[in-house]
Amino acid sequence: MSSRSRSSRGAISEEEINELISKLQSLLPNARRRGSSQASTTKLLKETCSYIKSLHREVDDLSDRLSDLMSTMDHNSPGAEIIRSILRS
Amino acid sequence: MAHCGGGGLPSRRPGAQLQQETAVESLCQSLMLDDVMLHDGRYRAICGAFGGYLQEWPDMSSACYAGGFGATPVQEVSNGGNSFSCSGGGSTKRKSDAYLDAKGECKRPRGKQQVCELDQSSGRGKPEKAKPAGTRKKGDVAAQKQDPRAAGGQKTDYIHVRARRGQATDSHSLAERVRRERISERMRYLQELVPGCDKVTGKAGMLDEIINYVQSLQKQVEFLSMKIAASNPVVNFDIVEDLFGGRRLGQACSPAAATMPMPIHGQMDTSCLQMQQMHQPAAAGFGLEMVVNNQYTPAQSRPLPAATPPPVSAGASVESCLDVNGAAAWDIGSQNLFSGFDAQFQQVQSELLFLSSKACRLLFFFFRN
Repeated sequence: MSSRSRSSRGAISEEEINELISKLQSLLPNARRRGSSQASTTKLLKETCSYIKSLHREVDDLSDRLSDLMSTMDHNSPGAEIIRSILRS
Repeated sequence: MAHCGGGGLPSRRPGAQLQQETAVESLCQSLMLDDVMLHDGRYRAICGAFGGYLQEWPDMSSACYAGGFGATPVQEVSNGGNSFSCSGGGSTKRKSDAYLDAKGECKRPRGKQQVCELDQSSGRGKPEKAKPAGTRKKGDVAAQKQDPRAAGGQKTDYIHVRARRGQATDSHSLAERVRRERISERMRYLQELVPGCDKVTGKAGMLDEIINYVQSLQKQVEFLSMKIAASNPVVNFDIVEDLFGGRRLGQACSPAAATMPMPIHGQMDTSCLQMQQMHQPAAAGFGLEMVVNNQYTPAQSRPLPAATPPPVSAGASVESCLDVNGAAAWDIGSQNLFSGFDAQFQQVQSELLFLSSKACRLLFFFFRN
């Protein structure tokens, strides 16, 4: 409840947040060309938003395609066994 | 076969929408309390009780404090739905230290915490959107200074969280505040996007969750791409299998292109890159790319008279030569390859890109068998 404990806790979380921000930054596709991390936290978050959205789209698209492929496959063909083994690997 | 990849298919979380409301509320709370704390050091103590909601960005508080507020921040929280009255009659007003003596009044926003918690538990409040930068002008600061708004007068379905700033006299403070709000807004968006993010408190936890989520999404995309790349030739395996089945039934010399179903061609067009990926390892693994490319060309250009019966290899693959004409062509192709590369086949090879990749897969299939 004291401001001292609050500030000390805040200091810890500052470090944490700095670390997390840089970590998040490294995950983004265009992480390299970005210079200062701290000044662009807003941009970073915005890019994270759009990146997550694009990832969502990609996952949806890929899973659609995969399920299409799966549904068109022949179940009893001898090739299906091979395919299963491929997919398992 | 559909069940084969079922485990890897992503499932969108149905509860994500449900969580959004509470997520938004908690972030609203965070935003508001952030404002309180950052603006007035005296309320850090109060804010400390709120735990994780109050983790501010590292450089914010220092910037805000450096700005030097000679301001009268007025915090107004009106809670229309519940007609909840806190200590300030529903509104809380706070003065910074500079104004404490002159006004002689300092209301601590005791009710704020209660208001927030109550609203969160009620689960129907929606936070007001973060105000754009233009609404925070110095001109209205004076007007709002002595204007503790009565919360009871506003009956709305959602809470108004108006963290009106007092005179942030310097542009630095204004810019910093706008920046903070933008960050909070983005965090709110992210919270909506990332499932389970509302369960963690504090920006550090949220960031952690976001990072994990992004990583998992990346892995998911990678996994799905791999699977699709692996299952594309799989589908073609089936078709090739059908082709071969037909061939065994006596349609040996029909041009391969004529028997290829058209949808498959379309699919190959779209997935050319993945096919190339599959094509490469298969060809590299067996070292028979040329053989594969040559496989169908005799069948297509001429009626496969078993042109020059290979004296050497005939013994090696007599069985396949005997029952399947395609296999015979295969052997001839390999003969041509091994006896020296034929320019004619090279030309045909360039013409028959799809055929060659299909044949490669066929070869792959047979080797697997």
